[in-house]
Amino acid sequence: MTAASEAGAGARPEKPPRSFAALAGLAAFAVITWFALSEDFGIGLDIGELIENATRGVDIWAEFMRPNWGFVPQTVDPMIETFQMAVIAAVVGCAVALPVSFLASRVTSPNLAAYLADRGVLSVVRAIPDILYALIFVAAVGIGPLAGMLALLFFNIGVVAKLLSETIDGVDTGPIEATRAAGGTGLQTSRWAVLPQVMPNYVAYSLYTFELNIRASTVIGIVGAGGIGQLLNTQRAFFRYDNLAVIIIELFVFVFVIELFSIWLRRRLV
Amino acid sequence: MIRFENASVVYPGGVHALKNVTLAIPDGEMMVIVGLSGAGKSTLIRAINGLVPLSDGDVTIDGASVRHAKPRQLREIRSKIGMIFQTFNLVKRTSVLNNVLLGRLHDAGTLRSLLGMYRAEDVEIAMRALERVGIVEKAYVRASNLSGGQQQRVGIARALAQEPKIILADEPVASLDPPTSHVVMRDLQRINRDLGITTIVNLHFLDLAKVYGERIIGMREGELVYDGTGAQADEHVFRDIYGRSLTADDLLGEPAPVPA
Repeated sequence: MTAASEAGAGARPEKPPRSFAALAGLAAFAVITWFALSEDFGIGLDIGELIENATRGVDIWAEFMRPNWGFVPQTVDPMIETFQMAVIAAVVGCAVALPVSFLASRVTSPNLAAYLADRGVLSVVRAIPDILYALIFVAAVGIGPLAGMLALLFFNIGVVAKLLSETIDGVDTGPIEATRAAGGTGLQTSRWAVLPQVMPNYVAYSLYTFELNIRASTVIGIVGAGGIGQLLNTQRAFFRYDNLAVIIIELFVFVFVIELFSIWLRRRLV
Repeated sequence: MIRFENASVVYPGGVHALKNVTLAIPDGEMMVIVGLSGAGKSTLIRAINGLVPLSDGDVTIDGASVRHAKPRQLREIRSKIGMIFQTFNLVKRTSVLNNVLLGRLHDAGTLRSLLGMYRAEDVEIAMRALERVGIVEKAYVRASNLSGGQQQRVGIARALAQEPKIILADEPVASLDPPTSHVVMRDLQRINRDLGITTIVNLHFLDLAKVYGERIIGMREGELVYDGTGAQADEHVFRDIYGRSLTADDLLGEPAPVPA
């Protein structure tokens, strides 16, 4: 080996030219961004105007800066309701998403038909935004937390199945080959060669959807799907920014605590 | 008895990895396959348990066709064939015992195996397999915490837990250091001699092949180019198989230790 390289095994290759596709992609990206920003076709972002008008919201900000702590007791019950909706939707949604994810990865799917069918259903589930789910379920089961929970449930299946199936695509295939070589079935291979590899990710995604649920509940509450969002919506309608501030601070603390818990749990699992 | 009858493998990319191989491997034999990388050694081994599908011809095990086996029959065939890999292929994130129990999946029943509720006798078989390779004390340790040599012994234990008639080993020592290579090869030799399990090993170190192979098969570009005993295989034979003169890289370079 060494002798060959000392003898100069041949001319060094030319640096390959930059890929045309990458350049074209960058150009397209720039054009689309300009289009989105431009005054004529897009949202018309004007930095000067932004600075000029920055002071307009100052009254609202001032109220936000004076949270009405006396409002806290009224937020307790809706907060608990939000927590309950978020927990049930996350637990059930993540449980459903587990087998769905295995069907949605070429690595573990039993056949092409199951894979394509599962992927198709999943893309529909994901294409529907959470607020539309909320509207559908409010119409179906009436105003309240049940509609909210069902909306979050579908939203969770979509998120976890997407993330987990892509994680499964990237697992080490060696243990899969070993399990098949030992006469294992597809189901046994998924259980013993794949699931242990993706378990920490699955737990992380599940906690992430729980966190998403807390935040999404503020939005779906607007259409009557229960929880803190419903309270937030009424306070916004009465321009009670001091009360809104309390709700937002509580949500911030909530999400932050989940994040801390998630970090702690992942460190134990990995 | 394993029989190759005009077996050929063409990969989807068009590579002709196995060309018209006819070969009989009697029960209880310790056979070593040598050849350069890309010569078709791994394909030959994987054709035996159907991990690589044949394009033509057939492989039969005790008369049962691998090529024409239905999924269930293929699993039945595979359950009698243990396999050992160059990169060990353990599930690193779980215990050694769980890895060895993968060798019992074929007999454990779907529900039991999915829940991890193995029968006591299956656990007993797995423990005995670990004892045979001398690392039973690591049973509840995570596989990722073991050294390379220990991981390969878990791989061997997993194969043994199948209570197989045949063991296939694809470059079992290529990721190990020379002394550990001899330990693992001697484990395989002992298993072959004590349990009478047909053992087929891919090796690229020719000195190892000569020491451990009762029979040596040489492969070049998908074809069988040599078939003889380890004693007959001298430097000329290996030069013919490799199609070039031998270098120090072709040898492990460490003599087998004298058994104590």
